[in-house]
Amino acid sequence: MSSRIPLVPENAAPLPSLKENNGLLAWVASVDHKQIGIMYLIITLVYFLLGGLEALLIRIQLAHPGNDFLTPEMYNQLFTMHGTTMIFFVVMPFLIGVGVYLLPLMIGARDMAFPRLNALSFWLFFFGGILLYYSFFTQSGAPDVGWFAYSPLSEKPFSLNKGPTYWALGLLASGIGSVASGLNNVVTILTMRTPGMTMRRIPLFVWMIFVTSLLLIFVIPIITAAFAMMLLDSLLGATFFTPAHGGSAILWQHFFWGFGHPEVYILILPAFGIISEVIPVFSRKPIYGYEFVAASTVAIGLLSLGVWAHHMFAVGLGNVANAYFSLASMLIAIPTGVKVLNWVATMWGGRINFATPMLFGTAFIIEFVIGGLTGVAIASVPIDWVVTDSYFIVAHFHYAIFGGSVFAIFAGVYYWFPKFTGRMLSETLGKWHFWLTVIGFNMTFFVQHFLGVMGMPRRTYTYHDMPYWGSMNLLSTIGALILGLSAIVFVWNILVSLRNGKPAGDNPWNAWTLEWATTSPPAVENFELVPPVRGRRPLWDLAHPDQPDEPGAKIV
Amino acid sequence: MNILHFLGSAWSFEPWVILFALALFGAYTLLPGSRLNRKSLLFSSGVMLMVIALVSPLDHLGRNYLFSAHMVQHILLLLVIPLMLLSGIPEAAAERALNSPYAGGLIKFLGNPVPAWLLGVGSMWVWHMPSLHDIVMANEGLYIAQQISFVLIGVIFWWPVFAPVKTARLSPLPAALYLASACLGCSILGMLITFAGAGLYTAYANPADSAGILSYIRNELCITPGVDQQIGGLTMWVPGCLIYLAASMVTVARWYASPEPGSVNTCTAESEVTTDLKLKEATERE
Repeated sequence: MSSRIPLVPENAAPLPSLKENNGLLAWVASVDHKQIGIMYLIITLVYFLLGGLEALLIRIQLAHPGNDFLTPEMYNQLFTMHGTTMIFFVVMPFLIGVGVYLLPLMIGARDMAFPRLNALSFWLFFFGGILLYYSFFTQSGAPDVGWFAYSPLSEKPFSLNKGPTYWALGLLASGIGSVASGLNNVVTILTMRTPGMTMRRIPLFVWMIFVTSLLLIFVIPIITAAFAMMLLDSLLGATFFTPAHGGSAILWQHFFWGFGHPEVYILILPAFGIISEVIPVFSRKPIYGYEFVAASTVAIGLLSLGVWAHHMFAVGLGNVANAYFSLASMLIAIPTGVKVLNWVATMWGGRINFATPMLFGTAFIIEFVIGGLTGVAIASVPIDWVVTDSYFIVAHFHYAIFGGSVFAIFAGVYYWFPKFTGRMLSETLGKWHFWLTVIGFNMTFFVQHFLGVMGMPRRTYTYHDMPYWGSMNLLSTIGALILGLSAIVFVWNILVSLRNGKPAGDNPWNAWTLEWATTSPPAVENFELVPPVRGRRPLWDLAHPDQPDEPGAKIV
Repeated sequence: MNILHFLGSAWSFEPWVILFALALFGAYTLLPGSRLNRKSLLFSSGVMLMVIALVSPLDHLGRNYLFSAHMVQHILLLLVIPLMLLSGIPEAAAERALNSPYAGGLIKFLGNPVPAWLLGVGSMWVWHMPSLHDIVMANEGLYIAQQISFVLIGVIFWWPVFAPVKTARLSPLPAALYLASACLGCSILGMLITFAGAGLYTAYANPADSAGILSYIRNELCITPGVDQQIGGLTMWVPGCLIYLAASMVTVARWYASPEPGSVNTCTAESEVTTDLKLKEATERE
């Protein structure tokens, strides 16, 4: 029996079942990129539900002024865990996971360049999350210092419990995993492409993962070092971030946002990639301006490294520094705008099929533009001074990260689920999920713009009964409950479709990238034959040998 | 002194600047393939800009009053002007230089990405060490050496990306990486200067006020030594970095504009045909 322990399963059955002999081991010990990708997706779904539950508790507490549903201590723990979970254990690992699953398929490879490193990344992420959530079971409770853990609040004597320590340890572990997957992605993209798949023909999703991975390699070490310093402070009595003993609290902010702002692009660039795959397929047109989408990604990646201090306008860096950062931040709107125009131009005149992935893709463009516009607004220093630390900021980044990244994630799930599992997700349930999400999302977060401008502070467990605040917050809470309902529909859809979904076939959407050339789900070795690649849409070239995308690429 | 009067009078046509500019012009006319065209226009505008950067009130401000003015001059001399000079060199001349026994070897060595990167980024770091900066500001000979070194090192730095001979250039993606990493190198220094706290460069704390405009700078423009240092650091960091960034976007654009090297498939035609047929069969079966 022991000789059958399938470290790299070689049977034709696509993925080992847990019910088989050694089924669990076949997953835990797997170095197959598809299995690791699936594990990422399952774990992030669990964390998505946990983080969503935390958000619901927060919203219930805020449903009316002076509510005492949660204690202030509990509220602090919940908003800290909600932010940390959603960013580090939902959006980021989902995008890494979907990348790990799709990269080799999209470039026609057998696996990642370093399969064992791939497994290490996943397990570091997995145990990092457990370490973070274990803090709920300790005597002092979960971390309660916000997802940014500003010094000196996160330091002695203001934080004497162990929450922030678990926070730093958990994120340290998963961060090392992220750097490893960044390296793995870059090497895979550079070295494992099938012949003909040049860097100028790789799918845009792969381009975005490439730039994101470079960002991971550059910026995660910043925060990893800062975590180490924070742990030294809290465990060994160092004073890197305690001003009273010669440290600097602002230094923590520089480290945190030096990582934190590029992190925003780590969360959104792969989402751009998903959208750049979905929109052309459902508009039945090649992407408009491939070069511009790819090059603007490079520009965003480079610009993102130098604008973090716009999170620190209220610190008092000085007018000159503020002005420079304000200008540099606004510059990012240019390459981002280029992308939005490209997507709209791709849809323009296309035969649009509003299946669920495209619904989410279209909504993504609208919601993300709203988030982007409020972003340009708060890049302006005086506006930022007025609304910083208010619900306006909460509304802004939820439009960017939920309306942006999460909508793209949903689009990606509906788009690639047939490839992952061999079965289609239900379109009916998908449409329910979509409309509930759109209504719930906008209801929850749009009013928060107004609340923010009216001065409602964030990170505070309750508020006074100011005019309209109660009703607007109630509206927001009802929206959050609708969002909760939409998540239930989503999970229900996945469970039902896994069992009874319509068989998908290899290429249900008539898409053009290589992952659709293999079976659904892909066999263990990914491809029996990799189709020849002579352009950006190999499957189109294959199906239409007389009118290939690139002149001179005619087959036969 | 009135500020307009200062701007009108603080021009110092120092002999070494004029000599250096004339030497550059002279060398250029001797180059094979140099004639009056777009390239020579670019080269001469580069030389003119260099002269302006070195004789105008900007130089006076940078040496006596403002670190930020020094930084603007520095960015011009290290990043902008050398790029103009290099782009102005005719291809034929560069080719001949590369093929000559001694000069060619030297150019090939200095134009390697590693020494060029180290020189380009290193010149920023070394010349901005506060103690060295103070010494240079007080010593005419060192100051001249510094300015000339900026221009020459700038040319070396840009060589791997914008060499007139295309074969001497890095391919586009490594070139983008070369520039992005240089951007990071200069950003970090810019950050250090910006956030270091006032008084890093003592020469600017209490200027001698030879031109009598100090009260104007301090009281009307509100540029204290701390603010001045911040502007300087940020100038190196943000606009400086944007130059590198724009250049890396140029390399990416060039890459997309060039013909695709991999457009001919590496596997043999026969196997491709069979692959196609099998795949077609597979699709038809469905």
